[in-house]
Amino acid sequence: MPTQKEMICMRMNQIVRELNDNTNCMYWVQSHYSRYVLLNQIKSKIEELHFINNLICIENEQMLRDRLQELPNQREFTLAELAEYDGKNSRPAYVSVEQIVYDVTNNATWAAATHFGLSAGKDLTNEFNACHEGQAILNKLKVVGKLV
Amino acid sequence: MTKKIVINPVTRISGFMEIEAIIENNKIMDAKTEGLLYRGFEKMLMGRNPFDAVYFTQRICGICSTAHSMASTIALEDAMKFIPTEQGRYLRDIIHGCEFLQNHLRHFYQYTIPDFVRLPNNYPLYTTEHDDFRMPSKINDLIVSHYFESLEMSRSAHEMLAVLGGKAPHNHGVFIGGISTQATTDKIIKIKSILHTISEFIEEKMMPDVYKISEYYQDYFQNGCGYNNLLSYGCFNDYKDLGTLYIDPSINLDGKVLPFKSERISEEIEHSWYSGEQKSYKPLERLPEEDMNKPKAYSWIKAPRYENVPFETGPLARQWLSGAYRNGISTMDRTIARVLEARKIVQVMEILIKNLIPNISVQSEYKVPQKAQGAGLIDTTRGALGHWIKIGDQKISFYQIITPSAWNLSTQSCENMKGTAEQALIGTVIQDSDNPVELGRIIRSFDPCISCATHVYSDRKPVKIMKVVP
Amino acid sequence: MDGLLSVCHGYEAKQRIVRNLIDKVMDEINEGTLLKKNLIWLELTGCSGNIISLLNGANPDFKYLMTKMANLVYSNSLMTAEGEDAVSHLVNVMNTDFILAVEGAVATKNNGLYNVIGKWRGEPLTALKAVKMLGEKAQHVMAIGACATHGGVSAAHPNPAKCVSVQSVLKRKVIKLPGCPCHPDWFMGTLAEILLYDAPKLDAKDRPVLFYSTLIHDRCPRRSFFDKGIFAKKLGDHTCMFKLGCRGPVTRTDCPVRQWNKYVNWPVEDDTPCIGCAQFGFPDLMEPFISYDTTRKERE
Repeated sequence: MPTQKEMICMRMNQIVRELNDNTNCMYWVQSHYSRYVLLNQIKSKIEELHFINNLICIENEQMLRDRLQELPNQREFTLAELAEYDGKNSRPAYVSVEQIVYDVTNNATWAAATHFGLSAGKDLTNEFNACHEGQAILNKLKVVGKLV
Repeated sequence: MTKKIVINPVTRISGFMEIEAIIENNKIMDAKTEGLLYRGFEKMLMGRNPFDAVYFTQRICGICSTAHSMASTIALEDAMKFIPTEQGRYLRDIIHGCEFLQNHLRHFYQYTIPDFVRLPNNYPLYTTEHDDFRMPSKINDLIVSHYFESLEMSRSAHEMLAVLGGKAPHNHGVFIGGISTQATTDKIIKIKSILHTISEFIEEKMMPDVYKISEYYQDYFQNGCGYNNLLSYGCFNDYKDLGTLYIDPSINLDGKVLPFKSERISEEIEHSWYSGEQKSYKPLERLPEEDMNKPKAYSWIKAPRYENVPFETGPLARQWLSGAYRNGISTMDRTIARVLEARKIVQVMEILIKNLIPNISVQSEYKVPQKAQGAGLIDTTRGALGHWIKIGDQKISFYQIITPSAWNLSTQSCENMKGTAEQALIGTVIQDSDNPVELGRIIRSFDPCISCATHVYSDRKPVKIMKVVP
Repeated sequence: MDGLLSVCHGYEAKQRIVRNLIDKVMDEINEGTLLKKNLIWLELTGCSGNIISLLNGANPDFKYLMTKMANLVYSNSLMTAEGEDAVSHLVNVMNTDFILAVEGAVATKNNGLYNVIGKWRGEPLTALKAVKMLGEKAQHVMAIGACATHGGVSAAHPNPAKCVSVQSVLKRKVIKLPGCPCHPDWFMGTLAEILLYDAPKLDAKDRPVLFYSTLIHDRCPRRSFFDKGIFAKKLGDHTCMFKLGCRGPVTRTDCPVRQWNKYVNWPVEDDTPCIGCAQFGFPDLMEPFISYDTTRKERE
């Protein structure tokens, strides 16, 4: 039995596939009637995606709060301390998002402790939210402490 | 009667340029060459990781990217006080040799041949308005078949490059120390096999083709001459065990071959859109500020000079300076020298390959110096290429590039001396001013690479003469 | 079953696609107008390396492209005509069915005068003007290489010529083939999809899924070294290039399986890191390319 998460994932993939097919059809369909039908389908699928996205976001926020609660015994970092962990010369690579400090030393997308022009040892809350808001990425990272 | 002729675009070159010529009684009295592309690599490189210069500067040019990887690597090694091993030098010079072959094959067949040989004009790519094609159809058609055959040869030259360099254009192989990977026996034999095929093609087809063309276009030995000042930074030279396989740094001035001294290079800005305290700068000096309101100026390109004199650089300069070919300095001699050089490069590569020790790693972990400066001067396909780097706080704090095409297509200098190619155009007799084919043919013999010689366009005040739309 | 399918409008529309295509082809054959499509290859602000890469293609090669697949009417690097004679090729094709392939970014500084690609009736034809003029009329627009797809190296900081992508000056769909340069197969394959099926399947960033669907990291032959944490210390090592700065984990192309230059090699096999040349934002967002001081094993 697939988990709830997997089912949501499958459904989302399915919606994206259907959206792709529908948009492709839009290029070809000549009659106005069919175009309206296709547009309606696209619209309802976008609404469904939006709904699922909201669900995930609420769940994620809850999880983040849970994780923060679990952190009383974790190490506390100031921004200056965090800056030491730049991933160079035997120092691990840490970044923080929403007060939580994560280890990205061996994260595949953080080659040479850099990620799309960003470097480790910094608070990247704004950058993370600008690109990955609502994505279940942080859950996979190792938490090493709290930013104070 | 005075006419102004404008050719834009000059096709079959890398990048964009315009030729403007003033013609009186069918003779070119004045000429200007203008690059029409500006990107500003020197500005982009500031603040970047010095090691990245090797891959970054290759993007200056798609047809000669390896040239820039060579010059930037040598500049970095100079700054790091790092001396590569002989095996490292052999390996990267083999990659450089592949680039020479790719360039010369493509320049001769895809860029030069359509000037002299009628390509099948049922394809729109090959239609043209002029009719100055002089070869009998049998010979013409044979060369056309070689035009298409050459596509496979130049492709193979890049394949050979990729065997050691990962990919081409924009290889990953050339780096500090030599090349990234090791030449294993299977790679060596693959390169040897491809090189053999290319060598046969050069001997059996490319060389006879250029001599055939020269027979029917004898008048091109008389035009496109220029100053006869020749310059080379040297390449495939000064190996510890093998000596010089091609050419040492040298110049030809007033009929004398002399040693080359890098400190005599300068760049003048008298006729360029820059203003500074000096009229002339050394390569490692601070770049002057842009100033488009300078009345005398007509281009972004600064005028590279050696002892304040313009020089020609490229295959003919190298063939002449090394004593291999001294028939003359002209449009056709330039083209013949390029073909002869292709054969020479094959011979050099064969020697380098023979001296390779398989499976040797020439790489180590490098450290960026806190503060340093270095120069990388090397002759590459189109001629003398120089990169100058300054490193501060482990980042690039200054970068200067003087390309072969900047030498050949430079603008006027302080003493009102025209650039080399401009001078080569002046005095040329135009047979048919409605179809001035001579201009493009002369300019193409220099193999201009405007992607490299970054200038910018400006509207100049109109000349009061009739305009011919070629 | 028939009933079920007929309520699915998507299926119906897809059937109509094929029907339309066949009808179109049949009509054209009957009318004797089935011709090879005109293809314009426009070089703009860049290094002209994508046309060189195209010449490196083997099966289909350049000769097959220009003699059998399409009517190549314009290429600054290869065409015989020069001057206004050359530019007239562009003008003459404007009112025909044509496909526009663009390499290089669009320089916008000084109203586009930082890159003039020719002159027409004495007036400079800027890259900006040319791409707008042709881009609006073309049946398909393909942006080829890093500069055309997202500005690339031509738009690298501080972007002195104020270069932008082809898409940012055109209000229409632009098929994007990133890469520095673009692999000849990525172009030929996409062109073939256009000629055969008219619409290649694209991802959310308008890249053909045929070539750009999978991360390099997912198909890297050195993936097992990454998983075991065995990292290269320098170029030339045969293990995972991650710590040197490999951008394979963020770059989607088929380089590991396709390889380059008659399929002989590719950057990681050449013992160097991938520099993410096919990722949007290259080069600025993919730097540094090579680092030796990355933590490979933490002290402690």
